[in-house]
Amino acid sequence: MIPQLPLALRWPRRQRFEHFHAGANAAALAAVRALAEAPGAPWVYLHGPAGSGRSHLLLAACQAASAAGRRVQYLPLSAMHEHIGALRGVGSSELLAIDDLGVLAGERAAEHALFDLYNQVRAEGGAMLFAADRAPAQLGIGLPDLRSRLGACTQFALKALDDAERRAVLKEQAAARGIGLDEAVLDWLFTRYARDLAALLDLLDRLDQASLAAKRRITVPFLREFLREGSGNA
Amino acid sequence: MSDLWRRCLERLESELSAEELHTWLMPLQAREDAIGVQLFAPNPYTLDTVRERYLPRIEVVLGQLAGRDCPVRLEVGSSAPRAARPAVATKSVAVENAAPAPAFPHNLDPHYTFETFVEGKSNQLGKAAAMQVAMNPGRAYNPLLLYGGTGLGKTHLMHAAGNLMRERNAGCKVMYLRSEQFVGAMIEALRTKNMDQFKQRFRSVDALLIDDIQFFAGKDTTQEEFFHTFNALFESKQQIILTCDRYPKEVDKLEPRLKSRLGWGLSVAIEPPDFETRAAILLSKAQDKGVAVSENVAMLLAKRIRSNVRDLEGALNTLAARANFYGKPITTDFAEETLRDLLATHAQAVTVPNIQKITAEYFNVRLQDLLSKRRVRSLARPRQIAMALSKELTEHSLPEIGEAFGGRDHTTVLHACRTIRKLCETDARMRQDWEQLIRVLTG
Repeated sequence: MIPQLPLALRWPRRQRFEHFHAGANAAALAAVRALAEAPGAPWVYLHGPAGSGRSHLLLAACQAASAAGRRVQYLPLSAMHEHIGALRGVGSSELLAIDDLGVLAGERAAEHALFDLYNQVRAEGGAMLFAADRAPAQLGIGLPDLRSRLGACTQFALKALDDAERRAVLKEQAAARGIGLDEAVLDWLFTRYARDLAALLDLLDRLDQASLAAKRRITVPFLREFLREGSGNA
Repeated sequence: MSDLWRRCLERLESELSAEELHTWLMPLQAREDAIGVQLFAPNPYTLDTVRERYLPRIEVVLGQLAGRDCPVRLEVGSSAPRAARPAVATKSVAVENAAPAPAFPHNLDPHYTFETFVEGKSNQLGKAAAMQVAMNPGRAYNPLLLYGGTGLGKTHLMHAAGNLMRERNAGCKVMYLRSEQFVGAMIEALRTKNMDQFKQRFRSVDALLIDDIQFFAGKDTTQEEFFHTFNALFESKQQIILTCDRYPKEVDKLEPRLKSRLGWGLSVAIEPPDFETRAAILLSKAQDKGVAVSENVAMLLAKRIRSNVRDLEGALNTLAARANFYGKPITTDFAEETLRDLLATHAQAVTVPNIQKITAEYFNVRLQDLLSKRRVRSLARPRQIAMALSKELTEHSLPEIGEAFGGRDHTTVLHACRTIRKLCETDARMRQDWEQLIRVLTG
C-alpha cells in the first residue's frame, strides 16, 4: 500500500492569498477571495500595470477554489499560441481565470469565442475572473456584446506596491526567516539587483540558504560575493 | 484525490511553472485502480494538451513513485459524478430521461420578470409588446422581434415573456436559447445524423425564444434550418420571440427570405435608456442587491455612464464591493472617489477632438472640412451635431467649443445645440444618428 503523506499539495508558494501584499489593493483582494470562496459572488475584472499582482491574485483564487473541491482552470492567454482553440475548449470548469485578456482585443473570432465561453460558464452556474492591463472600455475589444459583459464585472484598478511598501515586505519576509536586513543591504538590493518583488523574494530564499551554509550575516560584501559567484543568478 | 497523483503533482511542481501547473495539470482529476491511474480532463482541449506535452513525464514520475509500471488513461469527464446544480432537481431529470418525450429545459432565468424590468420611454413599447405576446402566445404578434444595442434589456424582456407564459400556464413548453446554442445543436445533430430529432425538438415547443440572431449571419446551413423551423412554428401558431442587435434588414449576410419572414410580426426597437431611466435602473438594481444607494449617487452614475445597463451594473458592483470592504456608506463623495478609475475610462474617451473625428467618420466627411468655414448643408449639419455632442458630453464651455471648431463664436455653438435638440424631437432619423453617436462615443 502507498503510505499516506501528511502534507497537503503544495501550490506555488508565493501565489496564494496569504502571500499577497495588498497595499492599496486590499478591496480587490477581498473581492477575489469572495469569488474563490463563494461561487455566487459577482465576477471580478482586475486591471493594472505589470507587477501589480494580477496573475498572483488569479492563481491564488484557483488554488483556494481548488482546495475547496471546485474544478478550476487558469488560462494565461499571452502564453497560448492559439486563443480560439483554447477558449472554445475550456468549458466545464467551476472557476475559470482568464489572464492577459488584452492580447485578444481586435481578434474578432477570438473575441467571439470568449463571448460564447462567458455565456456558457454563466449558464452552467460557474464563475469567471479576468485580468488585463487596461479597463474593459480601453482594451480595444471590437465585439460590443463582449465589451459590455466585461463592463458588468466588479472592477478594480490594481496599483503596484511603491518602493517603501516593497522594502517593508522584504524586511518582514526576511524577519520571518530569522534574517536581519539593514538599510544598507536594502539600499544596495534596490539599486543594484532588482525592484521587482518576486525577484527579490526569490533571491531572499537563496540568500537564506547561503548565509546559513556560510554561517555569515547578510551584509553588502556578502551579497556582492554571493552574486559574483553566480549562485545568485537565476 | 488519488494519493499517488497528489505526490506526482508535488514532484512536477518543482519542474513546471505555476502557470503550466494551473492551466493544465490542476484541472485534472485522478482515480487509482489496479491497472494504473485514470486521469479525467474537464474538456478535450485540456486532454489533448496534456497528452501531447506532459503525459510521458507523468508516466515516468508515477512509475517511480509507485515502484512499478503505471500506465495512464486519459479521458474527458470527472472522477466523481458532479453534484446536481440546485436549479435542476435530480428527480425530475430522471423522470424526464425515462419519459419517451424529449425533455424541455426552458433555460429561463427566474430573475428576469416584468416586475423587475425598469420601464422608461426608451423601452416601454418593447415591454408592452412582450407582455401582449406572453398573454396570447402565438396570437398577438408572431414573431416578436426586439432589436437594439447590447445591454439594453432585450434578453430581460424575452425571459420575462417566457416566465409569464409559464406562470399563466404551467404546461406551456417554452425554450430559450442563445443563437450559438441553436448553431451548436444543429452541428451536433448533423454530426450524429439525428436531424429528425433536432427538428422534432424545436418544433414541439409552444414558444421558441432565440437571442442575438445577428450571429446567424454568414452561417448558411443554420439559416436554412432555422428558416424551416420558423415556418413550421409559424404555421401552427407557436410563438417565436427573437432578439437582434440591429434592425434585421440591416444585418449583412442574412438571407433575404429570412429577413422578410422576420418582418411578418412586430419588430420593436429598444433604445438606450434616458437619464431618468438609467437612474431608476440603478436604484432598482441596488435594492435588488441590498445595497444602500441614495438618489444623488444614482444620478451621479446615471449622468456619467450612458453606454448601457451592464456598465451601470458594473459600476454598482464595484461601488458595493468597496463600500462593503471599507465599511463606509456610499455617499456621492465616496462614489466619486472610489469610481474615479472607472468613470475616468468613460470620461476619457470623450474629448472634443475625439467627437469631431468620430462625427466626421460617421457622416463620411473629412475632418478638415468639418472644421472649415464652408457652410454647405452636407457639412453644416454634421458640424452642428459635433458641437452639440461636445456640449452634451464634455465639460467645456461654449466659447471653448467654438474655439475648437475653427474659432467660431459661442453663439454659433449655442445655436447648434438648440437646433439639434429641436430636430431630435421632430426627426426620427436625426434622433437615431444622435443616439448612435452617443453610444459610440461613450460605449
